[in-house]
Amino acid sequence: MSLKYVVEFYQGIKKGLAYDLDSLFLYAKLVFIKRVEDADNFERAFAFHFYGIDIPAVKEGDPELLYTQQFRDWLKEAIDKGELPKHPQWELGLEELTRRFWDTLKKQMEAHHGGSKWIGTGGSSPFGHSGQATKGIRMYGESQNRSAVKVIGQRRYVDYSSSNSLKGDNIRQALSLMKNMLPAGAYSQLDVDETIRKTARNGGEIELIFSREVLDKIKVVLLLDNGGSSMMPWVDLCRLLFSKMKDRFREFTPYYFHNSIYGNLYKDPQRLNPLPTDKLLLLSPETRVFIVGDASMAPEELYRPKGSIYMDANDDEESSLVWLTRLKNRFSHLVWLNPIAEHEWDITYGNWTIQKISQIIHMEDLSLKGIKKAVEYLANR
Amino acid sequence: MTKKKLMGTTASFEGTERYYLNEELRSIVNMALAMEKPLLLTGEPGTGKTQLAFEIARDLKMELIELRAKSTIKGEEVCYVQDTVLRLNDARFGTGDTGRDVSRFFDYVVWGPIGRAFRADKKVVLLLDEIDKTESDVQDNLLDVLEECQFAIREVNQMVKAANKPVIIITSNAKRELSDPFLRRCFCHHIPFPSVDEMKKIVDLHFPELDLNFLETALTVFYELREKGFEKPPATSEFLNWLEALKIDRPESLEADQLPYIGTLLKRTNDILQYRQKKPNPPRRMGW
Repeated sequence: MSLKYVVEFYQGIKKGLAYDLDSLFLYAKLVFIKRVEDADNFERAFAFHFYGIDIPAVKEGDPELLYTQQFRDWLKEAIDKGELPKHPQWELGLEELTRRFWDTLKKQMEAHHGGSKWIGTGGSSPFGHSGQATKGIRMYGESQNRSAVKVIGQRRYVDYSSSNSLKGDNIRQALSLMKNMLPAGAYSQLDVDETIRKTARNGGEIELIFSREVLDKIKVVLLLDNGGSSMMPWVDLCRLLFSKMKDRFREFTPYYFHNSIYGNLYKDPQRLNPLPTDKLLLLSPETRVFIVGDASMAPEELYRPKGSIYMDANDDEESSLVWLTRLKNRFSHLVWLNPIAEHEWDITYGNWTIQKISQIIHMEDLSLKGIKKAVEYLANR
Repeated sequence: MTKKKLMGTTASFEGTERYYLNEELRSIVNMALAMEKPLLLTGEPGTGKTQLAFEIARDLKMELIELRAKSTIKGEEVCYVQDTVLRLNDARFGTGDTGRDVSRFFDYVVWGPIGRAFRADKKVVLLLDEIDKTESDVQDNLLDVLEECQFAIREVNQMVKAANKPVIIITSNAKRELSDPFLRRCFCHHIPFPSVDEMKKIVDLHFPELDLNFLETALTVFYELREKGFEKPPATSEFLNWLEALKIDRPESLEADQLPYIGTLLKRTNDILQYRQKKPNPPRRMGW
């Protein structure tokens, strides 16, 4: 938020751009919201302030709903009022409970939509924010615009919210922050100064001098943990990341491993075609390396020589920790992306190895925010 | 102030018969016109971002000047370029009867889209299409140019200022992130994918004679297909092409797993293979 926005906002009001609540909604959004990631938050804030409806940040159908303050408040109040039984999760089941929550919310939004009515529920809100919107804003008749509250109800931007998990669109955005331009292309740019200098030296006979074009020459390696049941739930998410990285970078190579990295990486997802990790370590130190894995394993897989969970493995004479340290020392642009959400790192099954690995390699989670932080970390090195 | 009064003060955009415009977008365009701010449109390919600029130009009867951004654009050439090779050549071999004069700088200036828009006699619509394809330093260079509606010609230290501020429409497919300062200077709007009702209206503009029952079925199939998580989900233009194809060879019924002309809807090999194999996509979840 900058002062400029506020000034601009008032200029627009003066010009009569916000003549009712719905146009105010559109205009304020245009002035204040510049990124689609923020649009859902804006719409929720608008609903809260002007309609007294507190919408949780999650999408309908997202099980994270159960952790939101809005859901808890609603549950508490509904139980207190006797609308729900004392132990609703046992008697109704979570699915039924979340359905009722969204139904109540929709009814509330519905009540605010269309017609001319005074806004300000003053106590009837089951979300416990009575009084917030008692200012009494009058909506003048039927608006030509789509009613703001109806638009908000559609939650069209919730998928772009940065707290949300990844979707195709937003990963590419995050990855695009990373670039590295170097003169590398063909000699196709006319260097005017040099041409004039040479031409003058040549006694006026024109000599054209060309210089190299500046190109994006970033090299990216992705090391992907694709084995074991602990990675199973994340396969789809990793596949998505993988496809987006492929379109973004000119040079992009994926390798695979299981649980942790030892003497061999694999070129194929079936892990049949090995590449000695030593070879990877010969790549330019400028290479950007992403490791994607849950970092969850038994401590000995990380710490002990012969630690690989495969009995017949012959590449684990040295412990995985040694190999990870070598990667770290070779590549200054190295980051570990963990599909387990950051706030669960210290409570999940692999908390110990996650902690140890993140002491060696910078770790972020595989959310949009995590990827952005990872990319910023890489860019600042 | 009522809406009618407001509309009286500035030229306003009402939409045209070829282009379906929802109320929200119409209001947004008019707000940007009133505030003379560049309007940045983002959204999936096929949501009509570029088309909107053409329609605004048609509706307001203004000329449209278009810059199709490429990754090789360096910045200044969108305003002007000096044809140095020609000038060097003229300096060496003479201008002949071309009427150019080697000592006159402006004889060798080729105006870029922004240069032409600023120098136009009348207000024009300036479309910067797919601005995200350019490098971020190019966008930074454009910032002040667009904000002040003027640029300097470095070689002769002269300013070119727009007599009539053009209506600036910028589109982006979010291939690369745009910088914050750039966004700050624009009104930004992300066009969401059309809802089923809006899609009906869009289809109606293109195929007014289409049978309603058939359209219902086609829409259901189309929106289901979009939900399947393909790498490139089919968008509006694919849907319209598909309807066009079906018009020529109208099948008796549409089966969701045996659609004719699937190639008009799905463009990537992987997607088509996935569709043929009918592999269900596992649901994506995080943190639960």
